[in-house]
Amino acid sequence: MSGNDINRRDFLKFMGLGGAGAVTLSGCDMPTTVTLEEGKEEVVSYLAPEEYVIPGIGVWYASTCQQCPSGCGVHGRVREGRVLKLEGNPDSPVNAGVLCQMGQASLQGHYNPDRITKPMVRKGGNLTEVSWEEAIELVNSKVGAANGKVAMLTGAMSGHQAELMDTYLAKIGGKDHFVYETINNAVAEAVNAEMFGSAQPRYNLDKAGAVLSFGADFLATWVSPMHFSQQYAKFRTGNRGVLIAVEPNMSLTGANADMWVPAKPGTEGVIALGVANVLISKKMVDGSVLPVDALATISQYGVDKVTAETGVGGDVLVRIATYLKERSPSLVLAGASAQSNTGGSQVVAAVNALNILLGNVGKTIGAEDAFPVKSLAPRRGSSAALAAFAKGADAGDYEVAFIYNTNPLYSAPAGLELNGKLAKVGLKVALSMFPDETTLAADVVLPLASPYEDWGTQVPGYLPSEGGLNVQQPLMRPLYSTVKGLGDVLLVLAKAAGAEELNQYADFYAYLQAGFAAMPASIKGGMSDAEFWSKSRQKGFVAVANSQGSLNVKVGDLAQVADKAGSDFPMHLAPAARAGMYDGRNANLPWLQEQPDPITKVFWDSWAELHPSTAAKLGVKEGDFIRVESAQGSLEVQVYVYKGVHPDVVAVPMGRGHDEYGRFASREKGVNPLKLIGGDVDAKSGELALYSTKVRVSKTGRSAEMPRLGGSESQVGRRLVSTVSADVYRRTEGGGNNVA
Amino acid sequence: MLNIRIVSKLFDSGMRVVSRRRGLMALLMACCLGLGSGVAQAEVPNAVAPKGTHSGEHVPQPIDFPHDIHADINGINCMYCHTYARRSKVAGIPPTSKCMGCHSVIATDKPRIQQLTEYWEKNEPPRWKKVHDVPDFVHFTHEKHLQRFVFENEGMNVENVDQVCAFCHGDVKKMTVAEKTKPLTMGFCVRCHEANEGPSDCWHCHK
Amino acid sequence: MSLKNVLENWSDYRKGHEQGGHHDYEHMWVMAVDLDKCTGCNACSVACYAENNLAVVGKERMMKGQGMHWLRVERYWDEPQIGGDDGQFQSAGGSFLPMMCQHCNAATCEPVCPVAATYHTPDGLNAQVYNRCIGSRYCSNNCPYRLRYFNFFSYYEESWPEPLNQQLNPDLSVRDKGVMEKCTFCVQRIRTAKDTARREGRAVQDGDAVTACAQTCPTQAIVFGDMLDKESRVSKIWAKQQVELGKTKQVKANPELRGYRILEGLNTDPCIMYLDRVREV
Repeated sequence: MSGNDINRRDFLKFMGLGGAGAVTLSGCDMPTTVTLEEGKEEVVSYLAPEEYVIPGIGVWYASTCQQCPSGCGVHGRVREGRVLKLEGNPDSPVNAGVLCQMGQASLQGHYNPDRITKPMVRKGGNLTEVSWEEAIELVNSKVGAANGKVAMLTGAMSGHQAELMDTYLAKIGGKDHFVYETINNAVAEAVNAEMFGSAQPRYNLDKAGAVLSFGADFLATWVSPMHFSQQYAKFRTGNRGVLIAVEPNMSLTGANADMWVPAKPGTEGVIALGVANVLISKKMVDGSVLPVDALATISQYGVDKVTAETGVGGDVLVRIATYLKERSPSLVLAGASAQSNTGGSQVVAAVNALNILLGNVGKTIGAEDAFPVKSLAPRRGSSAALAAFAKGADAGDYEVAFIYNTNPLYSAPAGLELNGKLAKVGLKVALSMFPDETTLAADVVLPLASPYEDWGTQVPGYLPSEGGLNVQQPLMRPLYSTVKGLGDVLLVLAKAAGAEELNQYADFYAYLQAGFAAMPASIKGGMSDAEFWSKSRQKGFVAVANSQGSLNVKVGDLAQVADKAGSDFPMHLAPAARAGMYDGRNANLPWLQEQPDPITKVFWDSWAELHPSTAAKLGVKEGDFIRVESAQGSLEVQVYVYKGVHPDVVAVPMGRGHDEYGRFASREKGVNPLKLIGGDVDAKSGELALYSTKVRVSKTGRSAEMPRLGGSESQVGRRLVSTVSADVYRRTEGGGNNVA
Repeated sequence: MLNIRIVSKLFDSGMRVVSRRRGLMALLMACCLGLGSGVAQAEVPNAVAPKGTHSGEHVPQPIDFPHDIHADINGINCMYCHTYARRSKVAGIPPTSKCMGCHSVIATDKPRIQQLTEYWEKNEPPRWKKVHDVPDFVHFTHEKHLQRFVFENEGMNVENVDQVCAFCHGDVKKMTVAEKTKPLTMGFCVRCHEANEGPSDCWHCHK
Repeated sequence: MSLKNVLENWSDYRKGHEQGGHHDYEHMWVMAVDLDKCTGCNACSVACYAENNLAVVGKERMMKGQGMHWLRVERYWDEPQIGGDDGQFQSAGGSFLPMMCQHCNAATCEPVCPVAATYHTPDGLNAQVYNRCIGSRYCSNNCPYRLRYFNFFSYYEESWPEPLNQQLNPDLSVRDKGVMEKCTFCVQRIRTAKDTARREGRAVQDGDAVTACAQTCPTQAIVFGDMLDKESRVSKIWAKQQVELGKTKQVKANPELRGYRILEGLNTDPCIMYLDRVREV
């Protein structure tokens, strides 16, 4: 069924984006429940199709998924001018043919009934539909008068759009491009850069015999989940590696672990040093790979101290250490719950030190591949960027702010007090597809084409070997003639700002084509410009021989930052990220709303996770509403009680609780835990410490049935999901015995 | 010459499947009665008469396309325009470019051609009304039928494909705008499938 | 098989599977699901929504058990085979089970249908013919796996507000109220694969027909294929696990092998083999 051999050239000729030869083909063979009445349904022919386009037969075209920054390649099945289904691009080095739930559901963003279709400008307090000319003119005049006091606040970006945005920003004298992602790996990037000389080193889970994850949910939300899922599949075959997860509440990765250990957020570093201590004191590894200062620090984290601080027993530490040693090479990872703390940098430092101690560097941790064309390289997101933007906005640094592909009014922690600060920006220009909180607070709204209607390129934030520049090409003609692609909007703005070098490009398509022609010969591999352009679109990406960096190990201070004690707010809040709702951007996709959460099986609504012992103390049971209060505010939410959460933690996953964002996000509101989060940051990297907020939990007395997939949570002794020990597995299928 | 055993009388009054909500009982009764006696019933008591008609009701089209001029007077093969029929499940309305291939020079003074040219110049294909429709739960493929009755049919000449088309579409050659003259009901299909040993598995045709 | 055929060969039809089935099978589509690779991520389920025009019913109706998820991922907390979960924590994670129609060769749903709307195809599929279904729900009540989903309402009216309806797959119908539906092993994709092979004048090869769930599975835990093709990946996995169709109880030369079929003892002869989840203990 895959169409990778379809010649992709001249696609636009009949898809209409190229100008002449436009076609509409709605109504043809569209499933309805109306049947069999002659003269009722319409059939509309193509105007001038390509030879290979045959009504009734799907054609697959390559593009790139934009639902998260990991940049999976997709094939879209196009029939009668509509894109019907997405599948992973089997050739893509990122995802090799597979796709997660968010990628599958991204079509519902494209076809979303709540898309913004017309430009809007705030007039007399209300957003009013205007023409593109009027909106652009207003933006140009304000930017012209701003004297360079312009900021860009965007989600993760890369490729030619990012390049064009830089050109525009430079032209208007602005310099501030803030790249903000709520779900990021920014603390680790900062620490990795310092310790390894590589911000995002390459991880090889498939080569590891044991993986210890401190909250790194690499199967769902961390860095490049589809890429790591494939590595995970290899990790689990043959000799079957051991997965250990240490985290405050169970993530998808934790649910797949052989050994799941609860930890309070921020104490992961203590546990990591405790494991290091066991490894050294039991002479399992040679400590001399670490500097003396580091060894001195580690020696302070003896089993008793670690157990006292974290509640993790000595036997657990020994078991972890033994797995890591015996199944060497291993890999230790730090994710959001470990990083996103006031002492986050120190936690990552301890995790990296553990990797160094175990000899994993160079084996399961490789040097980063840097994308050779600097102007296209990924701008990875961080939350420090949002804090910096908020600070600048508050100080009146910005007359104009462009906001693209991010919804900070929803996702900013309450402690940042963004609403008031953003209001100080003279003109807020939202480049957006949906009426989300931030877009509706903007002064100018420019409706964008969906990723499947627009041109672009992306370099994945995590670049696998063989990885390169992903091509994003339209899978169909825009649903609305009044929306524009991001590149086209930027081009119009940049030309108006006097970027004369851009005048030769009629549209972003021309800019992109020229950009491909201008690529270095090493990337083009001897192809002619036309051939290279055609091949790249057909394949969906450009493989690049990336420049291989090297890892320089440097270990600094490993001492952990102690948790702030506070008796008013005794519990930790875990604003967990889940694939599905992700950072809230997917709350308008009904397929994902209806998917039961993998762990709790809750759909369409928010929940709070509590440990049975905590629930018993509070006197609550599943379905009861609890009040979760922090210094920032409070929310009320139903409880799910299970043993996959630390007793001192209440976990409320993020993604729901939108005030705006269309019908599906607001149908069942849910709650937004980010509105309880204070303004604490990781001192070293400046990243917002999303897991440092302390809360108080109380009973409300209200109760209701939990919106949860029904059925027993126990197998009642039946062989439904049967489990065998790894020893049996290795005996029968281990090593080279495996068929699958 | 035609290797289709044409069944003389089609039972066409009772087996019309209509929109599920209205016709459920009719369908059920038709099924049971039809099977109970082992032979298809010409008349099914209490059945709901089929919606629409197959007696050649005129469907107004954006342009009164004359099939007779094309297929009869000029003898153009059906598959010259309905070119997808042999390759896809749908026969397809020819792309506007195909019409213009001839009519940028032929008969450009005729009002219907001028109408067509207007569409072409606006980059907008005409919105035709569907005449031959099967319910949405039916998977019908032109390709397989053409394979069976034209290309893999010994003695059948591709030039005479219109005779095969006519089995379901009527003698379109003699019509201007196509009209439905055959019932296209399940009974209509099954008769032919039984006579020609076509597949009888439900999921072959129902989706 | 036509209805006539069903009626005339009723008793054979019910008894046949243990002797290799009543049909002359053209294909026997089966699956193997490795529960150790399955991460419970839901990608399969959403892919199924995208491929099969599954209606979104909303919170209230989901709570009443009216969700139309042909493929649901179940999650259990206990592990009866490796001994309970008496500890303080869920220390070996969860147990995920993707459940879709098991396409039983001795399907309990088929004989109870009063109008033969559900039957077995010569491809070994448990078929559901929507336009024949009268909504008695007997099949659903008789399914031991609870994998049939009934349209209690016209869900489509609210499920695809324009232009969401433009995503609907034209290769299968949109079901209205009063109709039972369930996983079809993506029969439209099988049909397309067979048509393509026929057009190209060749036999259907392993990998031509892949269900949406198997295609998208991030860890490739789901393998789909034709059991009659001895060289297919899936039949090799079944053979390796020493699990055979047409058996009520498997006799394995190596009883430690992981393959099993769910509730096999009920004599339903399901076409999906699961492979045990594995944990370090």
